[in-house]
Amino acid sequence: MSILYDEAQQSIANESRRVLEARVNKDQLLPLLESTGRYHEEFWNTAKEQGWTALAMPEEYDGLALGLVELGLIAHQAGRTLSGAPFLTSSFGMAKAIEIYGSDAQKEKWLRGLASGESIGVVAIASGADALPRQPRLVFANDRIDGIATGATGGLAADMVVALAQAPEGPVLVVAQLDGVERQAISSFDNSRCVADLHFAATPAEILVEGQDTQTAALHILALQAVITAHEQTGGAEALMETARDYALTRRAFGQVIGAFQSVKHRIAELYALVELARANCIHAASREGKDDFITAAAAARLSATEAYDTAARDCIQIHGGIGVTWEAGLHLHMRRARSLAIEQGNTLFWEDILVDRLTGEAA
Amino acid sequence: MTDIETYRANAAQWLESVAPIYGKAARNGLSGEQDLALGRRYQMAKFDAGYAGINWPTEYGGQGLSHIEKVTFESEEMKHGFPTGYFGISLGMPVPILMQFGPDQEFAKERVLKALKGEEIWCQLFSEPAGGSDLAGLRTKAEPDGNGWKINGQKLWTSWAQYSDYGVIVVRTDPNVPKHKGLTYFWVDMKAPGVDVRPIRLAGGDSHVNEVFFDDVKIGDDHRMSPVGGGFAVAMATLMIERYVATDSAGFGPHLDLFIDLAKATEINGRSLIADGRIRQQIARNYAMRSGLNAITARAMLMMQAGMTPGPEGSLNKLVSVRSRQKLSELAIDLQGSDGFAYDDHAQQKDNWTSSWINAPTGRIAGGADEMLLNTIAEKILGLPQDHRPDKGVAFNQIPA
Repeated sequence: MSILYDEAQQSIANESRRVLEARVNKDQLLPLLESTGRYHEEFWNTAKEQGWTALAMPEEYDGLALGLVELGLIAHQAGRTLSGAPFLTSSFGMAKAIEIYGSDAQKEKWLRGLASGESIGVVAIASGADALPRQPRLVFANDRIDGIATGATGGLAADMVVALAQAPEGPVLVVAQLDGVERQAISSFDNSRCVADLHFAATPAEILVEGQDTQTAALHILALQAVITAHEQTGGAEALMETARDYALTRRAFGQVIGAFQSVKHRIAELYALVELARANCIHAASREGKDDFITAAAAARLSATEAYDTAARDCIQIHGGIGVTWEAGLHLHMRRARSLAIEQGNTLFWEDILVDRLTGEAA
Repeated sequence: MTDIETYRANAAQWLESVAPIYGKAARNGLSGEQDLALGRRYQMAKFDAGYAGINWPTEYGGQGLSHIEKVTFESEEMKHGFPTGYFGISLGMPVPILMQFGPDQEFAKERVLKALKGEEIWCQLFSEPAGGSDLAGLRTKAEPDGNGWKINGQKLWTSWAQYSDYGVIVVRTDPNVPKHKGLTYFWVDMKAPGVDVRPIRLAGGDSHVNEVFFDDVKIGDDHRMSPVGGGFAVAMATLMIERYVATDSAGFGPHLDLFIDLAKATEINGRSLIADGRIRQQIARNYAMRSGLNAITARAMLMMQAGMTPGPEGSLNKLVSVRSRQKLSELAIDLQGSDGFAYDDHAQQKDNWTSSWINAPTGRIAGGADEMLLNTIAEKILGLPQDHRPDKGVAFNQIPA
């Protein structure tokens, strides 16, 4: 897997960017903020049509057998244009869990639908603020799960779930259909994330991973999703940095464009630094899947991407002045998304601890 | 192994073998003069082993390899604390410029060879009291004098001038034209009559920089390395020549592992600081920043090996790493409480937090102040406008002082 962004990879990036810029704009995304349960269907249809749902899946299950680097390129572009649905990451996480830990029968049963995008997956590992609980709230017994998985991104629209649940012998990763599971919509500041509490009540489920490997497996899935999310965050930060630059080159005050003032131009130069550090960490992390330091690299990518996107959202709006805070300008779409992506897949505090545990040898 | 991996392995092996003779431990307790002498011997050993002038043409005594081998060697070399500092500027800028622009190539070849062997050192006489970041605002002047020139004025912050045999210098030859257009580039003999070098002691206690006074210093026109009035372009070429250098994501301060060790070994209120969220956050953030810089560098090297041109993000290293090192060094002293007072002005900033801290401001100013680096990113990479410059287009002698 090349990290150089060779010709084939460049064409993935360019084509996805072209398609997304043609099909996604703020006027479609703004209304989605005002209702729960809706996502931008054209985005998701595009993802299916372009094969992005199949990109990182194995060939024998209708996938394209590319990797994290390539899916990262798509996620980066999706972040630039503000993807109107969270399923690229959530379905990918679910598919990876089944691909890595599932039986042949489970793969046969679940993967093709995820590859085509006809089925939407969601991953429910967190319990509230704890991204990777030692004792999950969901209970698994007799091949059924009970309990509430809170704040599941994509939960309102998903067809199936990979969840962390507490079995009598300890935590397990399970897979289940969501037919008949009650979903309570969370009215949020970023409603196209389709966040829901999932109320399981004797929901039939199958075990993917049990025993001592469960926590490691759950962390691995979180890290895979975190790397994709980090690419999306970096894309969003990059778009904001460019938007700020473009505005600073046109908006005039005190007889010159505002980009000639050091307080403005240095702010934008600092964003460039954050974006490039995040991008480099993302590409590095994407190339470390399967290596000993993957979790470390994923954590670094996640931390720098969160910092880049949050900072870019703050500063880009600041540079725009009054127009930046209007509903119409839509910069708040990025500000909202920066926070959404910051709290999905483990927050900054979580990844800081994961990272330091590894650097100090405490995780060994 | 690829060719470059083989090269790296061989270089690492050679460096290991000479580390006991010239490395960190061997330098302990040496006087400045002794350390310089050791440095000259190390430079000669590099020359004999084929590691001097790695990417320079063979006809000048170099190895004729690419900057990939050079950067590879340097990144291995950095691990051992060799006394390379005296030659960094000499071989990094003035001597390559002499190769490129030296008017007498026979003379140039002699000088290059002696510099590569560590027998001669060159300095770079650019900055002045009135012109650091604003290089073109310099005031040292050269006036026609017979068939040659006569230099008067003062240079400042000249690294290793006290040990230098020669220097390259930018001076004003015409004050009646806008500042960039009245400059000319020469080389000078640092031992010539009228050259007076006075070391300046820096905050950390060492004196590697100098002020250099020129009092009617006479040079021939054969010292001239640019057209008259064309000196600024050669000065820019000098600053661009080191496009690919080994970088250090630690900002030339201590490795993050040393901070982790310190946190593990320190207790406050009966609790180890490695369990303290405030400390853990700093470790995590610094790691993420450094890993980003390392990833930029590693990817740039791969791109160069693949014949691609790396992006401009390589220019971030100094800006990002040195100011982070400054803050982390402050925190490392904090961690030690009143034990943090201990100070040894011979300690190395690569492995001592206090030395790293007290020398950090120099790192943020020398070789491009943070503010200039931000301007460069904003203007050259992002296409933002230049600052307002009231001296633009104005004859130098008409610029309000």
